[in-house]
Amino acid sequence: MRVQAMKTQAMRFQKQIIAFSCALALVGCAIQPPAETAAAIDREQLQIDPEVNYFVAVTELLSQRIAQPGGEALLQIQYAVEARSNGDLAWKVTWFDPNGMVVKGVGEGYRKVSLLTGQTRYFTATAPHARVTDYQLHLREPQQ
Amino acid sequence: MFKLPIVFCVSMLMLAGCATPTRYIDPAADDGPVTMTMDYRDFEKAATEAVDDMLASGAVSKPNGERYIMVVSRVTNDTMQRIDTDQLTKKIRVALLRSGKVVTTTAVGLDGAEDEMSARARELRDSEEFDQSNVQRKGTLKAPDLSLSGKILQRNHKAGKEQQVEYYIQLSLTDLVTGLATWEVETPIIKRGPNESVSW
Repeated sequence: MRVQAMKTQAMRFQKQIIAFSCALALVGCAIQPPAETAAAIDREQLQIDPEVNYFVAVTELLSQRIAQPGGEALLQIQYAVEARSNGDLAWKVTWFDPNGMVVKGVGEGYRKVSLLTGQTRYFTATAPHARVTDYQLHLREPQQ
Repeated sequence: MFKLPIVFCVSMLMLAGCATPTRYIDPAADDGPVTMTMDYRDFEKAATEAVDDMLASGAVSKPNGERYIMVVSRVTNDTMQRIDTDQLTKKIRVALLRSGKVVTTTAVGLDGAEDEMSARARELRDSEEFDQSNVQRKGTLKAPDLSLSGKILQRNHKAGKEQQVEYYIQLSLTDLVTGLATWEVETPIIKRGPNESVSW
């Protein structure tokens, strides 16, 4: 009788373990690893091509939100470059909304500027929409 | 006897092989040569600077958060080139519309409405041929608050063995309530190149 009772208890315990394992397996299936979103990818705000680094140093990169009469605020950036030698520079700002999606501006082209040795120049750009929260500034050397 | 035509054919084939192939240009990555005339890059530069400045100034932000209604007035082409100034104004209009701050009316214009359909669609009023439920009613068109006008100037100079061509893109935004220009900008585009190149 005692042996029978022990066997029944062991079987009940076994069933409990199986049920617990199944429950764990189901929970494991339900919880998926979070999908990688654009916001999760680390994006550098300042991207400088190596050729530009030879003759230019970015001495400042500032950003602020400028209040608008309607109550919104627009992101504005300002950067300064100091030229070590004469040369041409091309720059472009890409704007992003809180989800990391690109917000279109007027055009996609680079703005070209010429720099003289020792000259420090300041450039500003204003976001095309109030929903812009992030940006990427790209500096490169024009090919021609 | 056949020597001459063969030489001619071979030469033509060689020349055709040397010709630059026609290709697409991506405006986002165009490092092509600069022209003495105004090209799309100049319009893009001027429009970018204008919209940047316009947005930053707050001149196109209505205090109650609503959108301003803008009309495109006259943009005079005072250059030696045949320029369609819509190349400039369209970029500005598109960017302002995307900003959510300004919408442009096509129902009025200096030389008539840009889109005459707003008026034509109203001619259907009282026509028995049309279901009147969605025919536009009286007093629904919106009058503009702001007017965009401007001028593109060109000045040519001799600079040593080169020529210098100066373009000035001037734009004004007028508040139609007061008649005051609430925003203005001038974008100079200066080009220097060989005397042989033409700027018209």
